[in-house]
Amino acid sequence: MDFDAIAIGGGHAGIEAGLALARLGFKTLFITQNLDCIAKLSCNPAIGGLAKGNVVREIDALGGQMARLIDSTMIQFRILNRSKGPAVQAPRAQADKAAYALLAKQTLEQQKNLSLFQDTVVDLICDGKMKKIKGVVTERGNRITAGVVVLTTGTFMEARIFIGDYMTSSGRLGEPAAVGLGESLRKIGFEVGRLKTGTPARVLKSSLDFSRLEEQKGDEIQLPFSFSNHRIERPHVPCYITYTTEATHKIIRDNIKYSPLYGGKIVGIGPRYCPSIEDKVMRFPDRGRHQIFVEPEGLNTEEMYLNGISSSLPEQVQERFLRTVPGLERVVIMKPGYAVEYDYINPTQLYPNLESKLLQGLFIAGQTNGTSGYEEAAAQGLLAGINAALKLQKKKPLILSRAESYIGVLIDDLVTLGTKEPYRLFTSRAEYRLCLRHDTADMRLFSKGYAIGLQNNEANERFEAKVEKLNAINELLHKRKVDTHDISAEPLLSKYKGKTFARILKDPAFTMSVLKKLDGALNDFSAALSTQIELDIKYAGYLKRQQEQVARFKRLEKLIIPSEFNYDSAKGLSKESREKLKTIRPLSVGQASRISGVRNSDIAVLLVYLTKKSGA
Amino acid sequence: MFARGLCREKSIKIAKFKSAVIAYESFFLYLLIMVKESAFDLHDPIVALATPWGESAIAVIRTSGEDCIKKIAGVFKGTDNLSNKKSHTVNYGTLYNPKDGELVDEVLAAVYHSPHSYTGEDAVELFCHGSPAALQKTLKLLYEQGFRQADAGEFTLRAFLNGKIDLTKAEAVNEIIRAKSDKARRLALHRLAGSIEKTINSFKTRLVDMLSALEVMIDYPDEQYEHNEFPPQEFKKLLAEVHALLATYKAGRIYQEGVGVALAGRTNSGKSTLFNLMLKEDRSIVSDVHGTTRDFIEGSIAIKGIPVRLYDTAGLRSTDHPVEAEGIRRTDKIITNADIIIYLIDGSLGVCGEDEKFINQYKSGGRLLVVWNKCDLSGKKVPKAFIPISSLTGQGLQNMEKAIVFLLLGSSPLESDGPVIDSLRQKQSLEQALAALKRVETGYKNRVSYDLLAVDIKEALDAFGHITGQVTSEEILRAMFSKFCVGK
Repeated sequence: MDFDAIAIGGGHAGIEAGLALARLGFKTLFITQNLDCIAKLSCNPAIGGLAKGNVVREIDALGGQMARLIDSTMIQFRILNRSKGPAVQAPRAQADKAAYALLAKQTLEQQKNLSLFQDTVVDLICDGKMKKIKGVVTERGNRITAGVVVLTTGTFMEARIFIGDYMTSSGRLGEPAAVGLGESLRKIGFEVGRLKTGTPARVLKSSLDFSRLEEQKGDEIQLPFSFSNHRIERPHVPCYITYTTEATHKIIRDNIKYSPLYGGKIVGIGPRYCPSIEDKVMRFPDRGRHQIFVEPEGLNTEEMYLNGISSSLPEQVQERFLRTVPGLERVVIMKPGYAVEYDYINPTQLYPNLESKLLQGLFIAGQTNGTSGYEEAAAQGLLAGINAALKLQKKKPLILSRAESYIGVLIDDLVTLGTKEPYRLFTSRAEYRLCLRHDTADMRLFSKGYAIGLQNNEANERFEAKVEKLNAINELLHKRKVDTHDISAEPLLSKYKGKTFARILKDPAFTMSVLKKLDGALNDFSAALSTQIELDIKYAGYLKRQQEQVARFKRLEKLIIPSEFNYDSAKGLSKESREKLKTIRPLSVGQASRISGVRNSDIAVLLVYLTKKSGA
Repeated sequence: MFARGLCREKSIKIAKFKSAVIAYESFFLYLLIMVKESAFDLHDPIVALATPWGESAIAVIRTSGEDCIKKIAGVFKGTDNLSNKKSHTVNYGTLYNPKDGELVDEVLAAVYHSPHSYTGEDAVELFCHGSPAALQKTLKLLYEQGFRQADAGEFTLRAFLNGKIDLTKAEAVNEIIRAKSDKARRLALHRLAGSIEKTINSFKTRLVDMLSALEVMIDYPDEQYEHNEFPPQEFKKLLAEVHALLATYKAGRIYQEGVGVALAGRTNSGKSTLFNLMLKEDRSIVSDVHGTTRDFIEGSIAIKGIPVRLYDTAGLRSTDHPVEAEGIRRTDKIITNADIIIYLIDGSLGVCGEDEKFINQYKSGGRLLVVWNKCDLSGKKVPKAFIPISSLTGQGLQNMEKAIVFLLLGSSPLESDGPVIDSLRQKQSLEQALAALKRVETGYKNRVSYDLLAVDIKEALDAFGHITGQVTSEEILRAMFSKFCVGK
């Protein structure tokens, strides 16, 4: 065997998969079409956001790379949703795209056990029975063998780009598609579908009239995504806001027939949550204007990204409608917006460890599974890498639960429900989001990363010291009582005389900052730590209710369905459900209950058979 | 196994086969409801009356589930602690209310240890006295100990799930068919058919809309919203509707379980005559001698479809006679427990001090109805608040019955076409939903953050979901993207 493992694809999923495998000691090949296009941020120049920011921190807690990459390359940082509640706050950073990609490549190059190689994979090598993967075949005819393969093709598999009438075989503007692999997968028996996504134009900074744009600054304090970083000192670059006008909408409506989507050229399904400007205008004709965020692509480039206005209309039309937007009257387009249509593999063909059901040893991650977003891709890449390594180690897979991580929600949704549109994480997809705050990602997942071997002893000591500190703050708040001294300093506290500081925090009127003024000992702890405890105490009532829901949820998750379970022998199942259960092969009754179309009566029947089997 | 059971004999007659198919389908319909409503918790202690509701020598109350023996042992006084009794033993003792030590009933308790019971769980069967009033008390006592009312056929379901019976066993199927048709009969009776589901689904849809408004603001923090307010007026309306639906539970139960109506009044006010009239038979001895009825007599009737236990009580007067005194003591007890008290005034004599005393004592309870009897005899003017009747001629009886129904149901929700809930499960789920919605209301007033408001909205949705099926996150997303133009 040439390698222990092969990671195909140089995007965010491939990076995490390759690094995880190599870091766990496996001789790994990182193969991609163009080594100068590693870790490109193909669309918006930002990492994080709602749910996604949480995912980045979860990746970090498990020992992945994304948080460290953005920490070193951010050019603006914000905590979103400060006013909408602690559970739904999330960090987001604008990235310097070139710096991000460069750092990623350097990290890969310096990684022990990891070999970088430029070639395009066009076929898979299987064993005689087509049950197990053996390696890959490349465009230049290289045959490379390995025990496990992680496939992360992103939007490149059989991809086509559309701009008005223009259409070409390409996965990103200017980069050729990966042709051949999609066909091979179809031959092996994979169900392959088409999805569509789009990106807006990049425009010349000096062509913009900034006096007509509204400036949007980041937070003053930049906070690290990675739990291993304590402070960030990076440049602060603002973004800008402007709006479309009725004139913009008229041009779009008048030219809608030239849209490849409306003209019927694109068959793939696009995301509802991230519609093109054509979709926005056509579907919501009453809206007088749509917001546009003008974001920098980096420190050393003139390119600016027009967030919110992705389009695949002809270039001339794009220019015309952009010039109706205040501040963009003389805009110069550097790269036009475009739509891309690509092959994806229906992810219900994977087990929850992201291994394919058809080919043992083949793991699939990222946009190939129908997701969109750098963070979603990286998370899957990391889990696929970890699980591929665990398979080589003959260990039990790492499957994260919906109650402990957004990554768990993401992967469970994918493998249980599949997807028909590009899948994006939302906080509302998580049933227990109060338990999934971004600041608690390490509390939830660090020990798993450490147990696997992606976190070293030094990180573990740091983590344990943090837990100790958190306990100390918690204890202090529960022991320290309001005395006359405190009341003379803060008269509003008189009604809490003799009560603990923890009790005060439950009152929405008081925050930790008040208590810090009263007791210097609280200042010994960092703001991040004291805020974490503050939130835990403030929302204890809600958290407790949510934890009770989690306990109920876990009851069904714990009911394991044996992998050899014969659904054909379970006679009470409806025909439709039986087929679905046979396809998905859920690991637990909990997972089975989430399959769409599987009725509760079928779950009841399943329960009967499973409890009978266990001899109850 | 099911199919084999159904087609065991080729010669199976078509009619038989059809009924088996219906049973089969209804069983799964039933499983579906059970699994949904119970959130898969099929071990908690349940209780149900196993014998028909009504007057009988003995009634059997069946219980099953986790800690079921321990829970009953806590309210059972016998020769020994019930928890220490062996399986398959019958134990004599009394049930008492631990709160006030009051005796509830004398019973025999049959104890079964898991897995050697009908359901396969720990189980206790209580053989009680078959009086609806006493049964109601016993059931209430058990609810207070943490038992919940079993759904129709739930004992059989548990037996099935625990592998105690095969689906093809005729008893099981029979029971379910009966449960289904009983339900169907009740549904028809109460004009419920399907309307609960429609109502709950409308609650859900409206709540999903409100939730999606919050969710879109949470998940798209940078967007500007035209309608970015949570709609407090609509929410208030929803809250009121949930409240109203919940209130129908009382009516549902009244029609299902019936009520106790006590006839009270001074001696010789004509209670027994009225009792016989309402019962349409001569049960109570009627005479002109004061204090003829010394113990209470009861009978079952229906008033406008409501099952009524009617009690004729001993006339109230101070007496030295020990038997009559005991009768009056029992009368007091009946009156205390009655849902409705009909107090008779002897119209030929008018209101006396004793009457006033009684009326004043009970008038604020919302269950007292004062009737002016013998209105045919007296020429006296009937005071406005009293209903004139003649227990001799039947005059005014209809008015009195209307008044009883009004007192029980108010402006009777069952008169309207709206849905009525009659299962404890539905009531509990609605209460859960209502509690969650009230937290949303207070939370909104106190400017609680969106993520926390959403927790309670989702809890309310889950509670509604226990009645008619869970809302998935996909439905919320769909509502988000169909109503809001977001995304960049």
